[in-house]
Amino acid sequence: MGTLARIAWRNLLRGWRRSAVVLCSVSVGLFASLTLVAWAHGLLAQIVQTAVATRLSLLAVHAQGYQADPDVGRSLGDGGRALAVLLERFPGAQASPRALGDGLAQSARQSAHVTLVGVIPEAERRVSVVGDSLVAGDFPLPTPSGVSRALPGALLGSELAEQLRVGVGEKIVLHAPGESGLGAFRVSGLFHSASPDFDKSTVFLRLEDAQRLLGVGDRVHEIAVALDDARAQDRLAEFAKEQLPRARPGEALEILTWQEREPRLASLLDLMSSTAWVAYATVFAGMAFGIANALLMSVFERIREFGVLRSLGLQARQLIQLVLFESLILTVGGAALGVGLGVAVVEVLGHFGVSGDAFAGAGTLSVGPRVYPRLESGDWISPFALALVTAAIAAVWPAVKAARLRPAEAVRHI
Amino acid sequence: MGEELVLEARRVTKVYRAAAIETVALADVDLVVERGEFSALSGPSGSGKTTLLNLLGTLDTPTRGRVLVAGRDVTEMSDAQRSDLRLHELGFVFQSYNLVPVLTALENVEFVLLLQRAPRSERRARALRCLEELGLGELVEKRPNEMSGGQQQRVAVARAIASEPQIVLADEPTANLDSKTAEDLLDLMERLNRERGVTFLFSTHDPRVMARARRVIRLVDGRIASDERRSQ
Repeated sequence: MGTLARIAWRNLLRGWRRSAVVLCSVSVGLFASLTLVAWAHGLLAQIVQTAVATRLSLLAVHAQGYQADPDVGRSLGDGGRALAVLLERFPGAQASPRALGDGLAQSARQSAHVTLVGVIPEAERRVSVVGDSLVAGDFPLPTPSGVSRALPGALLGSELAEQLRVGVGEKIVLHAPGESGLGAFRVSGLFHSASPDFDKSTVFLRLEDAQRLLGVGDRVHEIAVALDDARAQDRLAEFAKEQLPRARPGEALEILTWQEREPRLASLLDLMSSTAWVAYATVFAGMAFGIANALLMSVFERIREFGVLRSLGLQARQLIQLVLFESLILTVGGAALGVGLGVAVVEVLGHFGVSGDAFAGAGTLSVGPRVYPRLESGDWISPFALALVTAAIAAVWPAVKAARLRPAEAVRHI
Repeated sequence: MGEELVLEARRVTKVYRAAAIETVALADVDLVVERGEFSALSGPSGSGKTTLLNLLGTLDTPTRGRVLVAGRDVTEMSDAQRSDLRLHELGFVFQSYNLVPVLTALENVEFVLLLQRAPRSERRARALRCLEELGLGELVEKRPNEMSGGQQQRVAVARAIASEPQIVLADEPTANLDSKTAEDLLDLMERLNRERGVTFLFSTHDPRVMARARRVIRLVDGRIASDERRSQ
């Protein structure tokens, strides 16, 4: 075994140019696919993170049927307070009740269709990214009592403000369906999140102002929940599904994770892992032909040598082992090089990030300003498994060719 | 001359078929080689020398007839069994030396012992002993491309005898060597035959080899035309 491996190694060194070309093709292929997979992981993570931190949340509690038909009438009583308090008993959980509704924002110059989001600013800061995305002003403060001409505040997405051509301190009018759905507001602040779509269509109001505008009294439509450790999401969902119906037996609740609310986005994550395998398989399939070709050439060049080895008593299966060793050294060596390079480059890119500008305004799948490529453990382990399979497959034809040589003819081959 | 039979060919016929053409390379050849012989197969090109050597060396199988090596019929053996037989009972020396180019002289000799699964220390010692006995002690770490033709052929002889085979089959071993080197090589093989009792069967049309051989079997058109034994 050791001598066969030594012969294989020295044979590869003897034809070092050809070996180097094959080794490089394997490593470049692996490097490229690994980097691509890391980029896709980072991109998708960023999309999910942006979506969860803006319009979605890790977990949302609604009145039954709200997800399918978000009518303002499908709401939760008690301002969602009892449910929010209960949810926050889960370790690391923060809950923010939201009153939601469609509306129209109008300035002196322009109007735009918007989503009205009534929140308790202190609670919302802990759940969404908006509090960290302020570029001017802040969430609206409570309207001072006794000041008859004071207008309630509204926090606008920067793109919406641009569209309406308003700034902080300027007045807008918000319309909502229903009898009480009209009110003047003063822009209290602007935010700029990673999602242009969100920034273009969202107006944050104080919860009581939104409830008044939407005509829903003390009711809310959603309790958005965030977690310190997102990995505990499934346990939180179990906790919520078990505890909340008990706490509010009279209310039919709908408790959904972000994956249940956005199954297409969630399926993208699942697709990612299979896409990685497809990428590797494609690269290795292409490489298998290259390796087989190089090995076959090498076999043809060494027919006499193989004849000598066979005449000395080397078994056909040992000759197959020899060719397999050569294939293994090339493929696994190339894979190690490619993966090593790929991991190093991804590590650097993952640290500094890559501009996500190319994806700005990509509709609902918004990406942050920077994408951070990253690899998961299986991403670099699986290429080695595939490398072994490829080495074996690529070596089959040349190895069988070598093993089938007739020693009497091979030994006199010129 | 000993009486133990090392090789036997019983009515051996070899027919090559290419497309619709059949070529009879050997026809009903009967031959026995006894232990300790120093014999040569001679004859003009195409007479069947190499074909017979291949059949006796189990590198090829006869179309008809039987070949026995050390009393064992190889005709019905599997490829693996024939490989095993070559490994333990037969040694080969080729016209073009045919050393494994990526191995050193020592590794080339050691390789056969490795295939025989000899313990590491034993195979190294045996390989070194063979090389030194053949005057190649200085070349153990050299690769074939660093040696002359004569040196390579001597290493090939060392490789052939290292496994202590029943017989060494040498196909035109002097064909690529100059006169002096060829004579030296023949001296060496004669000495191995005389002192260690190594049996040699050459395929050759080199008169120098035939002059040294104690038995010359002449083949013409795939048949044995004469079988001359000489006393020395």
